[in-house]
Amino acid sequence: MTLTSPAPTSTADSISIRGAVKIYGSAPSRHVALANVDVDIKRGQFVSIIGPSGCGKSTLLRLIAGLEEADAGTAEVFGVPPERACAAKMIGLVPQAPALLPWKDVLGNVSMPAKVNRRADKLRRRIHGHLERPAPDMLDLLSKAGLTDAVHKLPAQLSGGMQQRTAIVRAFGVQPDVLLMDEPFSALDEFTRESIQEQLLDIWDENKTTVVFVTHSVSEAVRLSDTVLVMSARPGRITASVDITLPRPRSQAMLKTAEFHHFEDVIRDHLQTAWQENPMTGSTPIPAGAAS
Amino acid sequence: MSVLKRLGFLRPAYWLPLAVLLVGLGILWSVTAKDSPYLLPPLAAVGEALAANPGFYLANAWATLAVALVGLAIGFVASFILAVLVSELPLARRAIMPIAVVLSVTPLVAIAPALVVAFGFGPEPKLIVTALICFFPILINVATGLRSVSPAVLQVFTTLHASRLEMLWHVRMPSALPYLFTALRVVFPLSIIGAVVAELSAPGAADGLGTVISVASSNNRLAVVYAAIFCLAIMGSVLLLIITAIEDRVLHWHESRQGATS
Repeated sequence: MTLTSPAPTSTADSISIRGAVKIYGSAPSRHVALANVDVDIKRGQFVSIIGPSGCGKSTLLRLIAGLEEADAGTAEVFGVPPERACAAKMIGLVPQAPALLPWKDVLGNVSMPAKVNRRADKLRRRIHGHLERPAPDMLDLLSKAGLTDAVHKLPAQLSGGMQQRTAIVRAFGVQPDVLLMDEPFSALDEFTRESIQEQLLDIWDENKTTVVFVTHSVSEAVRLSDTVLVMSARPGRITASVDITLPRPRSQAMLKTAEFHHFEDVIRDHLQTAWQENPMTGSTPIPAGAAS
Repeated sequence: MSVLKRLGFLRPAYWLPLAVLLVGLGILWSVTAKDSPYLLPPLAAVGEALAANPGFYLANAWATLAVALVGLAIGFVASFILAVLVSELPLARRAIMPIAVVLSVTPLVAIAPALVVAFGFGPEPKLIVTALICFFPILINVATGLRSVSPAVLQVFTTLHASRLEMLWHVRMPSALPYLFTALRVVFPLSIIGAVVAELSAPGAADGLGTVISVASSNNRLAVVYAAIFCLAIMGSVLLLIITAIEDRVLHWHESRQGATS
């Protein structure tokens, strides 16, 4: 994990973004969401992106998901462009809202990805470095997420936390190479949030999927991640990369330890420094060379 | 609890207000009919008209219902296909929707006679009028429903690289169902209006309750007119009941129905 690193020898085993620029709007009201951002995420890592609203963290995620194209720069997911990664079902997305289909029960919802884009498996095998894994048993995954009793319930009959867990199982279900999560727990209460974090870590532990996790909660970022990327707004850029060296598994008890607080403080400092250097002062020109 | 709920309509609080109002209206009707028989026929006379010749009303009701349902089916298929087209192709939307809106606000009663002139007294003009009257509510509602999918759901299925057809079948069409049923609840009774309007505009037509009404009213047989109207009201209500029952079945998952069960 590096910031302004020399280009690695091979991008096939990492998610790599080079010189990404994304600008919304034009002249007077333009907003530089990403200004020359470089990111490298190695396979199997759990990486969180944290920063104030408007710092471009969601834009960065959508760039990897192929939902948005950069105005300049490149994005590659394990050696292929995001578009091709999607075609091969290498990407699982958990948006901020659970985005479940209300007419399908929980099992129907998590089985849905298998019903669309059936050619993906063939494409996948042709992509270099892709790890083949057997299709997971959905009922097993659901029970790990604590949803055994809800298998045949409709989304409207579930709590917000259960809905979001269903969305996570749905994303894990395609055995994606990378799981993209966009503030998935931000609408949940603190207690629910911490218990879902634990379940997410349990499932992740077994699958070792690469995860890119956007959040604005410092403790959430520290608890979940191998590495935390700190972003700052106007223009959107990465200002720090903090490796979280806490041992795993990380239980709820660890949240109270001194080491945990140490990492929280480090990240808060980075967030504050970025804020003081560049408080909200409207739009900023792009640094020289970024648009090349 | 659920049994009590299901039998809730047996409680006086449920049926008494309606019963009182019906009795009141019946008295008002009878008084009016007694004073001025050309304004309203006596209720007994309407009942006699129905009882004297139930086969006659049944046959004509069936003729009207057949036109209504076939016309509805034609209108449904045509408007549903067009709604898919319009929601998938922005170009088609821009071309078709303005025309659709203008046609939908044009009074159908005005179009019906022209269609009778063009197509004669057979079933064609009736089916066209009925199909037309059902067409726009379905088109506009389904086109809206197909595009009502939340951006988050679209993003999830975009990253799965679902094809447009898969998106349409697995996501958009089910999302449009509540909108479709809103339209159907309007359109089922409306189909009968379409059929009757067409029958009224084709005075030489052989059968149908609309024809019965126009013939009987020109002969001053008010009791027969009201008997036919009564049949139409029953038909419309039954159609509404049927479509509402189907809707309850199909849309059991919808938020509006979830509050009651959980």
